[in-house]
Amino acid sequence: MSLLDLRGLQVRFGDGPRALLAVDGLDLQVDAGEVLGIVGESGSGKSVAMLALLGLVDPPGRVSAEVMRFDGRDLLALKPAARRRIVGQDIAMVFQDALASLNPAYTIGYQLQEPLRAHLGLRGAALERRTLELLDQVEIADPRQRLKAYPHQLSGGMNQRVMIAMALACDPRLLIADEPTTALDVTIQSQIIKLLLRLQRDRGMALILIAHDLAVVAEMAQRVAVMYAGQLVETAAVPRIFDHPAHPYTAALLAAIPEHSRGNARLSALAGVVPGRLDRPAGCLLAPRCALAQPRCVAERPALVDAGGGTAARCFFPQTFPLTAIVPEAGGG
Amino acid sequence: MAEPLLRADALTRHYRVSRGFLRGHATVHSLSEVSFSLQAGQTLAVVGESGCGKSTLARQLTMIERPSAGALWLDGVDVAMAGSAQRAALRRQVQMVFQNPYASLNPRQTVASTLEEPLRINTALGSTERRERSAEWLARVGLRPEHGRRYPHMFSGGQRQRIAIARAMMLQPRIVVADEPVSALDVSIQAQILNLFMDLQAEFGMACVFISHNLGVVEHMADRVMVMYLGRIVEIGDKQRLFARPLHPYTQALMSSTPAIRAADRHPAIAIHGELPSALDPPSGCAFHKRCPQASARCAAELPLLREFDGQQVACHRVEDWVPQSCA
Amino acid sequence: MTALACADAEPPSPARELWQSLAASRGALAGFGVLALVICCGLFAPWIAPHDPVLQFRADLLRPPIWSAGGDARYLLGTDELGRDILSRLIHGARISLFIASMSVAMAMLPGIALGLLAALHRNALGALIMRAMDVMLALPGILLAICVIAILGPGLLNTMLAIAIGTLPSYTRLARAAALAELGKDYVTASRVAGAGTLRLMVMTVLPNCMPPLIVNATLGFSSAILEVAGLGFLGLGVQAPTPEWGTMLASARDSLHVAPWVMLMPGLTILVSVLAINLLGDGLRDALDPRLKKVG
Repeated sequence: MSLLDLRGLQVRFGDGPRALLAVDGLDLQVDAGEVLGIVGESGSGKSVAMLALLGLVDPPGRVSAEVMRFDGRDLLALKPAARRRIVGQDIAMVFQDALASLNPAYTIGYQLQEPLRAHLGLRGAALERRTLELLDQVEIADPRQRLKAYPHQLSGGMNQRVMIAMALACDPRLLIADEPTTALDVTIQSQIIKLLLRLQRDRGMALILIAHDLAVVAEMAQRVAVMYAGQLVETAAVPRIFDHPAHPYTAALLAAIPEHSRGNARLSALAGVVPGRLDRPAGCLLAPRCALAQPRCVAERPALVDAGGGTAARCFFPQTFPLTAIVPEAGGG
Repeated sequence: MAEPLLRADALTRHYRVSRGFLRGHATVHSLSEVSFSLQAGQTLAVVGESGCGKSTLARQLTMIERPSAGALWLDGVDVAMAGSAQRAALRRQVQMVFQNPYASLNPRQTVASTLEEPLRINTALGSTERRERSAEWLARVGLRPEHGRRYPHMFSGGQRQRIAIARAMMLQPRIVVADEPVSALDVSIQAQILNLFMDLQAEFGMACVFISHNLGVVEHMADRVMVMYLGRIVEIGDKQRLFARPLHPYTQALMSSTPAIRAADRHPAIAIHGELPSALDPPSGCAFHKRCPQASARCAAELPLLREFDGQQVACHRVEDWVPQSCA
Repeated sequence: MTALACADAEPPSPARELWQSLAASRGALAGFGVLALVICCGLFAPWIAPHDPVLQFRADLLRPPIWSAGGDARYLLGTDELGRDILSRLIHGARISLFIASMSVAMAMLPGIALGLLAALHRNALGALIMRAMDVMLALPGILLAICVIAILGPGLLNTMLAIAIGTLPSYTRLARAAALAELGKDYVTASRVAGAGTLRLMVMTVLPNCMPPLIVNATLGFSSAILEVAGLGFLGLGVQAPTPEWGTMLASARDSLHVAPWVMLMPGLTILVSVLAINLLGDGLRDALDPRLKKVG
C-alpha cells in the first residue's frame, strides 16, 4: 500500500468558466522510502499541488480530490486540528529560498526548537540535545555556535541545511522539497543533493522532490511525474523517462537542454508559452505548441493512458516519435 | 592577431564597507587583477558562483563604475583617459542585458518608451524615427509592435527578456554584456531566448561577454570560457579545450557538481566541502585552497598567478604535478 | 520569427486602472465623492453661496438652522453672532481651506522631494547634512513650529501656508529618500545608466515616477492635516484674520455663543470633520490602489 495516495486533486481559484485551475486532476502515489520527482515549468501547478496536500491553500483557492490518503488515513475527512498534527509531524516541507522561509527576527536555534517543542513536547536538556543532534545530521560544523546565529548571518547553503533540519525534527515519513537547490550555487547544490539523498536513505523517508531542473531530478529520483499547465502529462521510472519519453512535452523539455544539442547551431525550443487562465485550449493543453498535433488533439482532451513499461502518458499518440525528434520553433527562422 | 575589441588589463575593484558604528572600515576585494581580451564577434563566457565578481566585472565593462586599479581598453582607447564625449561614444558600443527580467524594465514606462530611451539620449533621431525603430526591434525579437504601448508587468519573464535584449540592441553596440540572461527562465523559454541571442549575433556580429553559472548553456554559447573565483580569474581558455580538459581544481569541481541527465555527460565526482569564502575575509594564498582536494602548503601561503599552460591560462601552483582527470 | 501571444485584450491605461482599483473600495469612493463636493464648493463659491459671506444681517443675529424652531429659509444653516449666513461662509471657507492646504502641500512637496532625491544620490556628507536638518525639524511639534513661524513672520495667508509647509517638508524628504534608495539599487536604473542617462535625467525621469506612490499618499493625507492645521491656527487667531470666512476662525469666534447657539460652532466643526475624514478615506484607497503588490498581473 502506498504511503501517499492522491487521486484527482484539483485546486481551483475563482468560479465558473473563468476560474483558474491551478491543478487539474493530479494523481500521485508515493511508496514508503521512495523518491519521486515532480518536474514542471512555471504555471505547471507543482508547488500549488503540494501546498494543497499540506492544507496550506487559502481561500479563494478551493481544494478537492477524489482520494487523499496518507498512511491509510483519509486527510480530507479529518478535522483541521487532527490534520495539522499529521501534517506537522509525518509530512514536512522544505522550501526554495531558505532565507525567505526562515523568520529573520529569531535565532535559528529558536526556530529549530519550535517544532520540537510543539510536536514532541521536549524541554530543557533533552531539547538542546536533540537540536544539536539535528544540526549534526545536516552536517553543520560548530553547531553550538550556530544556535545563536540569525538567518542573515548564515550563507544560503547553511540556511537550507537549517530548513532541512527543521523539517526532520519530528522524524517525518514524507519529506517534500520544493526546489531546494534552485537558489543555491552549483557546488553547494551538489552538497545539498547528497545530503538529502543520504538522509532519505538512512531514515527510510519518502521524498517528493519538486524541480524544474531535469538534471537534478535525474540524479535523485526513482520515479518522475511531469506536469504541464496544471495537469499530469507523464509519469515513469527514472532511466526510462529520460531515454524513452512517452509524452511530447517531456521530449521537448529534454531536447531544450543545451547539453542535448551539442554540435547543433541552434537549441531545440518549444515555441509559444504555457496557456494562462484565459486561453486554455479545448483539447490537449499542449496542442497549440506541439509539432505532432493531430486534429483529434485539438478537439478532445486526452486522458492518462498506460504507455507500457510502467509509464503513463496523457497523449493520444504516446511514444510515436523518436527521442531525437526536434520540436522546432514554427518557421524555423 | 588583430587588435582586440576589448582588453582588460589587471582590472581591480575594491569597495570600502563600514562594519558598523565606531568599528571602522573593511575592504571588499570584488575584483583583483582581471586581465583578458575579447575579439570582435567572439563570445567570452564568464563562469563562477556567488562572490566571484562577475557582476562587478559587468559594471566595469559597461563603464558605470571606475576601477580602483588597472585599465580597460575599448577599441584601442583607454577608457579612463577618455574625455566625456569620447566616453559617451564608447558607452554606445557596450550595452547590457540583465539577469532579472522582472526588475530590469522600468515598471512605470511603456515598453516603447523604454526602447526609445537609448535613442533619445544618444542620437538625434526624431520621435517618428524612434518609434519606427522600436517597432522594428520589437518585431525582430518576436513581439508585436502594438505591444509597445503596454507596461512591463503585462508580459511574462521570457517576453520581458526579449524586450531587454531589444533595448540592448537599439544602439547596435559592438559588445553586449549579458549577465545571467536566462537564469530566471524556464528551460523551454531559455532555449528560445538563447536561440534569439545567437540569431542576433549571427546577423549583427557583436561580441558578447556571457556571464552564467550554467555550464551547459556556456558550452553551447561560448567561444572562450573564463572561470572566476573570489574576484580572480582561475582559468581561461578555448571552450573545447577547457571542457575536454579542465585544468584548475575549481573548474573540475564545477563540472563535477553540475548534475546531468545522461550518465555519459557526468564528470567524475569530486567531493567539495565547505562554503564559498567571504570577500571580506579572503583566505591567504590561493583563495580556493581551503576547499581544494589537491591543496598543498604552498597553496596556503602563496597566491598563484595566471600563467600559460599548454594553450590555456590557469592560476594554480600544482597543475604540472597533478595529472588532470580526463573529463570527456 | 514567430510572434508570441500576449494577453490580447487591450490593457487599460494606468489612469483607468487606478480608477478601477479605487472604485473597488467603497470608503475611497465615498471620500472621493465628498472631496469632489468640497472642491466644487470651493471653485464655484461666488455662484453657489446664497449670500455674501461677510455681509451682516443685523436683524437676524444668531438665527438657528432651518430645521429648528425659529429658522428662516433664507439662512439654511442659520446665522452667526454678527448676522452672517453660516452656509455661505462655509462654502467660501472651503475655497480658502482648499487653497491654503493645496498650496502648503505643494510648497512642502517640491523642495522636500528635491532634497530627498539629493540625499539619496549623495550618501556622504551632503546627504547626512540634509537628513540631520530634517531630523531637527521633525523634532519640533508641528503646531509649535507653525506658531513660531507666524510669530516671526506675522499672521496672514501666505505666512500660514509657509508655516504649514515647513512643518511637513521633512516627511516628504524622508519618504523620497527612502523610496529613491530602494529604486537606485534596481536593475532598470542601472540599465538607464548603461544607456547613457545623466544624473538629472536618471533621478527625475527614471527614479522619481517609481517613488511616487508613497509620496502621493502622504500628500493626500497631508492635505487633510493641513486643513486641520489651518483651522487650528485660525482658532488660535494666528492664521487667517477676520472677517475672511475660514472654518477655524469661525470656530474661534463661536466660542462665546456656544451655550446659546451651538450650531455656530457645530456647523464649521462638522464640516472640518467630514472633509478630513473624506480625504483620509481617499488617501487609504489611493495607497491600496497604488501598491504594486496588489496589482493584478495581465
